[in-house]
Amino acid sequence: MTAPPLLTMTGIAKHYGATCALRDASLRLYPGRVHALLGENGAGKSTLVKMIVGVVRPDGGTITFGDAAVAFRTVRDAVAAGIIPIYQHLSLFPQLTILENLSAFAFGATRDLRASSATLSIEQARAWLSSVGLERDPMTLVEEISIGERQLVEIARGLGQACKVLILDEPTAALTQDETERLFTVVRSLCAQGTAVLFISHKFDEIDSIADDVTILRDGRTVVDGAPIRSLTRDELVRAMLGEAVATGSRELPPPGDVLVEARGLRLHATAEPIDMGIRAGEIVGLAGLVGSGALDIASALAGATPVASGTLLVAGDVIPFGDRHTASKKGIGYVPSDRHLQGLFPVLTAMQNASASSLKVISRRGVVREQAESDRLLPWLRRLKLHPLKTELPAASFSGGNQQKLLMARNLALPGLRVLVVLEPTRGVDIAARETIHQAIIEAALKGVAVLLASSDLDEIEALSHRILVVRQGRISQELPRGTARGALVSALAERDAA
Amino acid sequence: MTALAIRMARQVRDRINMPASFFVAIALFALFALTVPRFATSGNAENVLRVASILCVVACGQAIVLILGGIEFSFGSSVALASIVTVLVVPDYGVMGGFAAGAAVVLLIGVLNGALIARFHLPPFIVTLGMLMAVAGLAATLAGGLPIDAPPSEAFSWPARGRVLGVPVPVIAAGASVGTLFLVLAYSTIGRLWYLVGANPEAARLSGIRVRTTIFLGYLAASAFCALAAIILTSRVGSGQPSLAPNLPFETIAACAIGGIPLAGGQGRASQVLCGVLIIAMMNNAVVLLNFPVAYQQLMIGAVILGSVLLQKSSGSIGVLWRSSVPKRGGR
Repeated sequence: MTAPPLLTMTGIAKHYGATCALRDASLRLYPGRVHALLGENGAGKSTLVKMIVGVVRPDGGTITFGDAAVAFRTVRDAVAAGIIPIYQHLSLFPQLTILENLSAFAFGATRDLRASSATLSIEQARAWLSSVGLERDPMTLVEEISIGERQLVEIARGLGQACKVLILDEPTAALTQDETERLFTVVRSLCAQGTAVLFISHKFDEIDSIADDVTILRDGRTVVDGAPIRSLTRDELVRAMLGEAVATGSRELPPPGDVLVEARGLRLHATAEPIDMGIRAGEIVGLAGLVGSGALDIASALAGATPVASGTLLVAGDVIPFGDRHTASKKGIGYVPSDRHLQGLFPVLTAMQNASASSLKVISRRGVVREQAESDRLLPWLRRLKLHPLKTELPAASFSGGNQQKLLMARNLALPGLRVLVVLEPTRGVDIAARETIHQAIIEAALKGVAVLLASSDLDEIEALSHRILVVRQGRISQELPRGTARGALVSALAERDAA
Repeated sequence: MTALAIRMARQVRDRINMPASFFVAIALFALFALTVPRFATSGNAENVLRVASILCVVACGQAIVLILGGIEFSFGSSVALASIVTVLVVPDYGVMGGFAAGAAVVLLIGVLNGALIARFHLPPFIVTLGMLMAVAGLAATLAGGLPIDAPPSEAFSWPARGRVLGVPVPVIAAGASVGTLFLVLAYSTIGRLWYLVGANPEAARLSGIRVRTTIFLGYLAASAFCALAAIILTSRVGSGQPSLAPNLPFETIAACAIGGIPLAGGQGRASQVLCGVLIIAMMNNAVVLLNFPVAYQQLMIGAVILGSVLLQKSSGSIGVLWRSSVPKRGGR
């Protein structure tokens, strides 16, 4: 690593309103090396990539490319400078030929409206394709070739430009083993020619086989800054992604009672292995899994929020249909969804209207909402959750992320006849004080005999709150760990090789 | 100086809790009263209200649908079909029977719209547009292409020309509609459900709300307002007409937009409907009094729609007045 870095990002920060996507991120890409960028969802990977190519402008920090500080204004500028992004979602035009797609950057650069002026010659196109190992007639329509081949076309298009930095954002998500190998061969030969490659993936096996260096982002910060990949074990990588155990005082949890909610033979997909699980009254069960493991899907299925392929859901012996939130909530199943904005909040409505959305039956009489009853029922919860500011007539959109989350918690804690509480990522993007308050509320619910299912990618949270931890991998529960399991054992259970 | 004026205006507005369009309506009234001869007379006021009444009744229905995040176009032909059915039924079943049948037709169209949109998740824009055209075709077929005159009678013309305690019946109907809409939106459970579903249907579903039923009831309620308007309209023209009020859906959307109801759903108040309707009615009236060509009406309304939407978006000095310092409650 004697050559100077080709692209350097230091002290990068980015805020979206009150939420902080990046606080202090750095990244150094060297010519001729493949650099893996890791991090859980929301860690800030995609924001960082968007900054490199000029889609997002940083609030703070510097980006240098070559010798000079740069701030690309559009993707076109970045491409012209030799930074070629290849997205997870392909950006080819399926109804056009390979040739036309290969010419797309040239079209973007020219102001000449005649198509012929910017179109490549067939020979040129063939040469570009063979440089990525793709033997295809350039006149083939893109929709007729496989996803893997499209990815190669996209790379070929990038190589047509003088490619100094290649950015691959989860390129193998839709590829077969063969196609992945082909892609890697191309990437290695590019590296040999001095290209710097940034490789984003969730698949550890691939990272092991292709990456030279690794940078890990957590919560918008760079926690591992360009370390050689061989110097870290897989456990260390996962631990860096998820965070070291912060010393949290072990909490007293109530002793669980009888089984209150039960899933029998639950299959999320027709081909999945069936899942059987039960939660006792007063018990908090943690559902842990890496991104894409299916932990969130299992939890939302148990809340009756999503339809499933087959299975039975029982609450205190009563069968409840899957995928019917109305019935589930009538039976006392509360549900805090993982995506606050898309699935939880009514942004234009008031804080009170947000909090009371699941209690309308009990606060109405003869078809009229009684505002006194509404306030009597919800205000104590909002007080206990320390809603700030405690102005219930303000629209929900004007509250901070943590306080919006408190509104969702209040909505479910006030649910009439609450017996089961399913909470997904309850403290994602939430500050420490709000997190503490929300954790306390979950424990108090359990003390009252509510069965709690907690699905979270935050291991500290899972460890602090759960009676027992169910580890989810590939859509099934692979292991059950008791409270007090060492972090190392938990991380190993999560990171276990998928093939094994 | 300006800042002070804006702050004072805001305080006044917050105290009486009126939509921004209320001040536009007041300003417009003052402008016309000063510049347009015979505008500020009691006779003209009654005329304005009477002309605006049908638009007002239907706009109340449109407001519900807009709050739900939907849109309703089929009003335009459902009143036409209702007029024809009314006129066809009157000879056999009397005036009451005729009006009842006409209203029933409009309600039935509302049920169909609601069922298609709620049950099958079809886009309201397409469903109600398709319904607008299909019902227009049905009306023309039924009428044979020409207006059918109703047998003239005192009872038949009462909904349009009658008076109660000196107040024209259509004006009473409009007042009752706005009043009902206000009560339903501000206080009722179904009103609250409309706001919730309109603000975020997925969040509503996950909160345990019956989203489909809520949407269905919204379209049904909207058609109830339209049914009332259909009776008045049929009574006024005294005949069944296949092209009775083709612009009605667009005028109602215009009235709601000018009043300040965003088409994104989740927001809207009865007072906004009233203000939007009054602004349109006063402008139309002023154009007539000034002897401008009628085509000017459309030009002006179009300009006012664009202007008011622009104002609500803008963050400039006028936008400061528009945005509330005290947030609106959903229903007030």
